[in-house]
Amino acid sequence: MSATKRTIRAWLAAAAVVPLVASLAACSGSGHAGTGASGGGSGSNTLTVWAWDPNFNIYAMNEAAKIYQKDHPDFQLKVVETPWDDLQTKLTTLAQSQQADKLPDIFLVQNNAFQKNVINYPDLFSDFKGSQVDFSKFPQSVVDYSKVDGVNYGMPFDNGTAITALRTDVLQQAGYTVKDFTDISWSRFLELGKDVLAKTGKPLLSGQAGSSDLITMMLQSAGASLFDKDGKPTITDNAALLAAIDMYQKLVKAGVLVEVNSWDEYIGSFVNQNVAGTINGVWIVGSIQSAADQSGKWAITNLPKLDGVPGATNYSANGGSSWAISAHANRDLAIDFLNSTFAGSTQFYDTILPKSGALANWTPAGDSKVYAEPQPFFGGDAIFQKVVGYSTKVPSNNTGAYYYEGRDAVSAAITKIMSGTDPATALKEAQQTVEFAMK
Amino acid sequence: MTELATRVDTVVATAAPRTRRPSLRRLPGYAFLTVAAVVSLFPLYFMLVSATNTSKDVLGSRLLPGGALFDNLGKLLDQQDVGGALWHSFLNATLTTVGALAICSIAGYGFEVFHSRGKDRVMRVLLLAMMIPFAATMIPLFQMFARANLVNSTFAVILPALSTPFLILLFRQASRGFPHEILEAARLDGLGELRIFARIYLPTMRSTFAAAAVITFMAAWNNFLWPKVILVDNAYQTMPMLISNLTAGYVTDYGVLMLAVLLASLPTVVIFLVLQRAFAEGITGAVK
Repeated sequence: MSATKRTIRAWLAAAAVVPLVASLAACSGSGHAGTGASGGGSGSNTLTVWAWDPNFNIYAMNEAAKIYQKDHPDFQLKVVETPWDDLQTKLTTLAQSQQADKLPDIFLVQNNAFQKNVINYPDLFSDFKGSQVDFSKFPQSVVDYSKVDGVNYGMPFDNGTAITALRTDVLQQAGYTVKDFTDISWSRFLELGKDVLAKTGKPLLSGQAGSSDLITMMLQSAGASLFDKDGKPTITDNAALLAAIDMYQKLVKAGVLVEVNSWDEYIGSFVNQNVAGTINGVWIVGSIQSAADQSGKWAITNLPKLDGVPGATNYSANGGSSWAISAHANRDLAIDFLNSTFAGSTQFYDTILPKSGALANWTPAGDSKVYAEPQPFFGGDAIFQKVVGYSTKVPSNNTGAYYYEGRDAVSAAITKIMSGTDPATALKEAQQTVEFAMK
Repeated sequence: MTELATRVDTVVATAAPRTRRPSLRRLPGYAFLTVAAVVSLFPLYFMLVSATNTSKDVLGSRLLPGGALFDNLGKLLDQQDVGGALWHSFLNATLTTVGALAICSIAGYGFEVFHSRGKDRVMRVLLLAMMIPFAATMIPLFQMFARANLVNSTFAVILPALSTPFLILLFRQASRGFPHEILEAARLDGLGELRIFARIYLPTMRSTFAAAAVITFMAAWNNFLWPKVILVDNAYQTMPMLISNLTAGYVTDYGVLMLAVLLASLPTVVIFLVLQRAFAEGITGAVK
């Protein structure tokens, strides 16, 4: 009997092990098992990069590699397509499991999340101390996103300068041109918006309900933020924030801004001609241009500025990203590569602009001929040169480690305010939420 | 037997006069079911139609088929390694399904058929494990695989899914309806335990295996977070990872996206349709 039992056990064990062995064999058969890390710092002439858009930042990286290869024929670059949300998950996992050696040499980070990651996971980053990179060639406000305690941790790449994009044909029906919308205040914008709506039936703007994108753009345009220089939340008693929320409420109430439920609906609202414009980072022109039948009917200008707020300007930013060098990287090669291309080659920026619309933050690029070329889609205006010009005037704002928590809390507050809660009460709650998160 | 016969007679007797006016009485029921069917099928229809439309038409919620299918396909194949992703998804899902069925069916069978003192305690611990969300175990798991130098391997993708408390419970519950008399008879006839499992239990529990196969395959096919974390290199990317890539850029081509979603859904639809009847039986716990 005991012999039978042993046989049973042996058979059952075998039954459990066989599929495992089979799967292992299959894995190694297809050559996947145990290939180990991503290869950050892998070879003396190879760099690995994580980035997320094949038509934009990945394309730019590959073009940069081609330019760098002219002087460094042995140089190799490997880009792994990694969407930002997944990249953030990976950064968190690698930091918490202390596996920084699985990082690539270079990875792209959203500007708004840069300080948060450096502060929370300092072990993942290399700094640019002692490098030859001339950061003064980038707009101060953009460099500040990736600066912690006065040290640079990122090289600015794509431009998130905010623009007002408007349908000139709709404006014309209402008797206006884009000039009427340039260098104006928000109260004037509201007035014009009401008139355009009355005459054409089209709202000027759309936005995702419960999103604080527009509010934070308004805030930054006045150099204000949700945090002070010490990183403490300043959501209550924030004159700029109150003015921004007040204007947002007025825009929605007047029907000049229609709230939609999702990002896809937001894109659909201007692609399907339901609204006559939009305000966002310059990268939104990619989506605007996807409606090829609207070519020539769009124009770009700067943002309205907040009324009665000290330091208010017509310039702001939303989004944008910067290159980070990992702690495990071949640092010298990574810095030299980035410095020779993203911070040193007009030819590079001239190559990537026409095909990908990747607009430089590197100010010297704005002087080139390619940037000055008229864009037929935008009525023959040289919009790229224009936006690089705007980018130098954007006030800095402090993002800090809890920027996303702050933004989420303000988004929740906006939803409450729009459904009738008093702004002061809703913002007080938001402040408490952020303070709780920071404990 | 006579009782059954009487019951059948009653059913037949009461059913006959009802045939006159069933339509009116059932109308609200049919109307509700029709609405429910439209609501459930519409997203599938929209996915199908959108795969043939341009991005602008999808954003405009066009409900008729368009002519952009091949254009979308061209763009998708141009941007992403669809064949590779389909292959890796298929490989991961198949290996996980085969492995999980082999392990969990034996475990479930063992829990029900064999008796030992600590059995129920072990089962309770297993059930408790069902309550732990994956996010809580992800980082320790990653550390384990990184130490074993298994990051970037198919093995690391499938191993955590090979034995799940849910499947063990499913097999254990289903085994409750398995007639123990057959086991005794087989043992008396001298059949070994493994043969009893393979020759008697396995064919009898076919519907449970089918249900477990559908559930495991779908879960493995749709698995996103773990493969995304453990597969650092895109050479091994799966379909859900590919779809995530398509939505990551500043400009999303919704036609291409819907086509990728359609391609990712097809295998699970086929598997579900093939095993549909057995799946329903397996879930309701029927043993033939």
